[in-house]
Amino acid sequence: MRDSRIEQARKRAHNAKTAIGLLTAVVFGVAFVGARVHAPGHAKGKAKSLGAPTSFERAVHRSVAQGGQIAPAEQPPPVASSTS
Amino acid sequence: MSIGVVHRFRAMGCAVATAGGDRAAVAAVLERWEDTFSLFRPESELSRVNVSPARVLTVSLLFSRTLKTALDVAAETDGLVDPTLCGRWSEVAVCGKLLSRPPGLALDLNGVVKSLAVDEAVAALDGPGFVSVGGDLAVRGPVDVALPRGGATRVVAGGLATSGTASRGAHLLDPATGLPSESPWEQVTASGSSCLAADVAAKVGFLLGGGGPAWLDERGIPGRFVAVDGRIVENGVWAGATRVTQPCT
Repeated sequence: MRDSRIEQARKRAHNAKTAIGLLTAVVFGVAFVGARVHAPGHAKGKAKSLGAPTSFERAVHRSVAQGGQIAPAEQPPPVASSTS
Repeated sequence: MSIGVVHRFRAMGCAVATAGGDRAAVAAVLERWEDTFSLFRPESELSRVNVSPARVLTVSLLFSRTLKTALDVAAETDGLVDPTLCGRWSEVAVCGKLLSRPPGLALDLNGVVKSLAVDEAVAALDGPGFVSVGGDLAVRGPVDVALPRGGATRVVAGGLATSGTASRGAHLLDPATGLPSESPWEQVTASGSSCLAADVAAKVGFLLGGGGPAWLDERGIPGRFVAVDGRIVENGVWAGATRVTQPCT
């Protein structure tokens, strides 16, 4: 009788340990996937710039002291250059 | 070549004219720049940066890239076009999205923001056309443009900008004195490979006074100078590019 109760207690303890182990593994897995999806430190793909395209920025930067192309006017101008 | 319907509206506190693209798309680009950099909007990022007591701030990518461009322009022009307006541009640093500047040092990015907005807007046009904000413009394909005090020129590629005292009085500061510039020019028009390049060239040409035409010539930049007495001076590059050659007979 006494041995049987001890055996049952051991069985319950074993089941409890198994359940806790499984629960820990599930919580870890969910947290791991969640971190990869949401945390900014985990790269999910190529980062996209939020500002102007790099090609535009490069072209503007390269041209800070470069002249434009002008020629004699040929038609009535639709727009004027002036101080604002 | 026809550039189609010219749309006119107001944005960034200026008259806007555009052709060759979607008016709403151009307006949206300009609004984005104004929303970030307007000194007249307390909620703009620039206004919030200027009132912050912190030395180091995190800013948006657009802000950091624009400030980097402004600092590059200041270095290239020896501080003539200065985002601090007081000769302290070298105390400002930007690295990635981090901005460092002495607390209380206010920034004014008007020297580059309008022209950068024009360059971005013209890049978004569907076809040949132009975007002009307050008379500073960039083109996509040849566009004829009227000039201050009469005359016109064809902008084949790049941009055209005019700086001076004609509309807002003496608002351009001489960085050497911190006072309004006493330039012999009333208005300086320059053509650059972008609107930013044209705007910077026009401002420098104006602030350098008598040395303006030569500074632009050394860099191959066409410049047209209207003196305070109304006399018009074209630098060598401008005169060479706009000279009408007579056909051989």
